Amino acid sequence: MSWEPTLIHYLVLAAAIFCIGTVGILVRRNAIILFMSIELLLNSVNLTFIAFSKYRFDLDGHVFAFFVMAVAAAEAAVALAIVLHVFRHTRSLNVDEVQQLKY
Amino acid sequence: MGFWEPLFFWIFALGALISSCAVIVFRNTLYCALALIVDFFFFAGLYVLLSAHFLAVIQILVYAGAIMVVFLFIIMLLNLGDDDIGERKFSLHHVLAVLSAAAVFFAIGGALLMVVDKDAVKVGREQAAIEQQAQDNLEDGQQKTAVLLQTESRIPGLYADMNEAALESGYSAQLAAYERGTAKPSDGKYRPFDPSRPVVVPPSLRMPDLDKIGSIPGEEQGRYGATQSVSVLLVNRFVLPFELTAVLLLSAIVGAMIIAKRRVA
Repeated sequence: MSWEPTLIHYLVLAAAIFCIGTVGILVRRNAIILFMSIELLLNSVNLTFIAFSKYRFDLDGHVFAFFVMAVAAAEAAVALAIVLHVFRHTRSLNVDEVQQLKY
Repeated sequence: MGFWEPLFFWIFALGALISSCAVIVFRNTLYCALALIVDFFFFAGLYVLLSAHFLAVIQILVYAGAIMVVFLFIIMLLNLGDDDIGERKFSLHHVLAVLSAAAVFFAIGGALLMVVDKDAVKVGREQAAIEQQAQDNLEDGQQKTAVLLQTESRIPGLYADMNEAALESGYSAQLAAYERGTAKPSDGKYRPFDPSRPVVVPPSLRMPDLDKIGSIPGEEQGRYGATQSVSVLLVNRFVLPFELTAVLLLSAIVGAMIIAKRRVA
């Protein structure tokens, strides 16, 4: 490990942020914060893609990161619509209270 | 690599780590969203350090702009303050979550440190150079050394110790191959690292007038990670997923509207 950033630095950083997002998903019960943790996971994967893309001198990772961003945008829209719908029914954002598939 | 780039890497890395922790630690949902916005800006800085300028801008526009605006809109619409969901209680479940995530981190980190081993890669590259030398010698008729050297194994692909100058020279070699006409855009399948493989603009998509409106001559091919080089890939080799993204976004719009609307009696 040197002072100058190399591929391994970016990969370890992405792994650390991925694990932080995992902790968020496992610990928090607030549905919106769960989705924010999922955004953290997607971003760390994007960082991995772009780091590999640079150090392999290849632009395919950039394209993949672009698609991941598009999927994240679509996912956020649908997920927040679901959150809104659930909040109208249960008056809460606690995911533990959402136990019924119907209503 | 200079003094500033490592400094900024460490600033952005520490900032991203701290703001990621802030996202999952804050009690107030609004503070979590604001910490996530800060996090996205640090990520954009890291992308700039990785020469992904297009994606850095997209990161700020799409993530910090569009997605987080939707998050903040929902949070304020639902009027969420400090949540009373009952997360204040400290439980064994939290400890287990943190421990398992730490275990996952050390597993991933250990695997990375084993696979992306700088010394191994360096040895592999020297070995590749020796093999190249042996290949040249083979053409000179010295078959003995060539056979002896080619039995060694090496690790292709992961150029962990590649520095900025090597990247630049590789890219300019790519551009030169393109200029000579020895390389064509959007040809063929995935290969790990091939300097002759173009990531640059095909002639049909070039804009020759760019020179006349004051850009730098020779820059019209697009640089690594710039908008032009990425978008050329998007509309050539990845055109089908690109179009499917449009379908995905359309279905997401329709789905979000149908889910979120109030049921009409």
